[in-house]
Amino acid sequence: AAKMAALGGGGTRWRRAWLPALQLLRRGSKAVTRHWKAMHFQRQKLLAVTEYLPPRPAVPPRCLPRRSPERHEEDGQARVLRRQLEQALGDSRMVAVCHYCPMPDEDVAVLRHFLRKHDIHVKFVLNEVGLGSGHEIEGWGLNYSTAPTQTGVGSLQGRAVPSQRALGSQPIPSSPFPGACIDNTILSRQGVENFARLPSLEVSQGQTVAALSLLPSQTCSLLQQGPAHLTALLDEHIRQLQGSGAATEPPQG
Amino acid sequence: PAGPGGVAVPRAGLKKLTLPPDYSGITIPEKPKLKFMDKVPAVPKVQREPRRLRDIRGPSQVATDFTQGQYGILALGGGYLHWGHFEMIRLTIGRSIDPKSMFAVWRVPAPYKSVTRKSLGHRMGGGKGPIDHYVTAVKSGRLVLEVGGHCEFGEVQPFLARVAQKLPFPAVPVSRESLQEMRQKEEEKRLDNQNPWTFERVVASNMLGMRKYLSPYDLQLKGRYWGKFFLKHRV
Repeated sequence: AAKMAALGGGGTRWRRAWLPALQLLRRGSKAVTRHWKAMHFQRQKLLAVTEYLPPRPAVPPRCLPRRSPERHEEDGQARVLRRQLEQALGDSRMVAVCHYCPMPDEDVAVLRHFLRKHDIHVKFVLNEVGLGSGHEIEGWGLNYSTAPTQTGVGSLQGRAVPSQRALGSQPIPSSPFPGACIDNTILSRQGVENFARLPSLEVSQGQTVAALSLLPSQTCSLLQQGPAHLTALLDEHIRQLQGSGAATEPPQG
Repeated sequence: PAGPGGVAVPRAGLKKLTLPPDYSGITIPEKPKLKFMDKVPAVPKVQREPRRLRDIRGPSQVATDFTQGQYGILALGGGYLHWGHFEMIRLTIGRSIDPKSMFAVWRVPAPYKSVTRKSLGHRMGGGKGPIDHYVTAVKSGRLVLEVGGHCEFGEVQPFLARVAQKLPFPAVPVSRESLQEMRQKEEEKRLDNQNPWTFERVVASNMLGMRKYLSPYDLQLKGRYWGKFFLKHRV
């Protein structure tokens, strides 16, 4: 009110010159100061009341299930490697998978040569290339979560028996050997060992044929030997039948 | 080790290669370095002017957005820049940028406002003192400097941060994207504030007679500014 009175002009002559009774015009510091100007307590209270309150969801985010890490877009190199891998595995009948442990280069070369002699091709594959196409490549379920960065794949293209023996006797102490996929069947380490101990295809075929043809061959030999042995056998058979029960009729002839 | 196809398989996983950044639309002007700013404006008649501290107060209406460059320094408080500051900025930026591939542009004018000082040790009175130096007023939210060219924010940020630290008001290095993000976050914060009582609302409707304790400027400043200071945490 006092400031408004000081502004008023156009009064009578002796009212225009006017000194304020109190020095209200030079009061305190300016609005903009170098220092932090002291705030009225009411203003401080107002600022405290009107502070920002962040939204609080009903369920705190730490109680919600964690999002699985999103799949990255596959780039061209990974796709090329995967196609090569699929081709290599598709060609071969037997695939053995094992972990890759860092070995000196010359040891790796020696191992590859050794396996190559038994017609086993070794291929090193990165996990992200192999796991990406997971269920399409069947043997891959073996190495799901516990594998290190690389996995060595032996793709076997030769005969079953000698390759199995070679793998069983190979001198890799460090790399664990989870299993193999042979003819679309996944086998564990024991399974592979048992498979190696099986006789080969020709031998087993011969055995089956022999088992099946045992009875006809025996009959054939009986008939060829002569009637005496045959009649003796038949008499024996009739006596047994008569001994066991009278209800059964004696065979004719 | 090499796979059977001859393709070398890396040991530690496949590299994700990204494309290099595209600087096709950026032209570097003829004078890429910062212009020299005069200490005293070339005015026909030197005049002492009143203090008018309201040129520091509140948000800036000019030079708030990028024009030529991609990165800059944003003022987060009000203040005066004098010739010493200008020289420091000019020399530091001149040392740090590569004039063939980067450029820098002023967004503040040369010092135009005269500041008077009375000689030391004298009592009050005796009129207004003579002019001591000239300054430029900077309000909060104004860009001081813009830098652009064939460079990334990561390259530019270290020396911009060093310059920003030396300014008389709080400042941060920003890029176009980071400024936009800042503004967006502010807006989101304003929208999802759970407090039903905001400073703006209380002042506008004079709740509880609060305007007795507040300035008439608080209607526009809305509690985010106090003197030359910008209160970043408010609303």
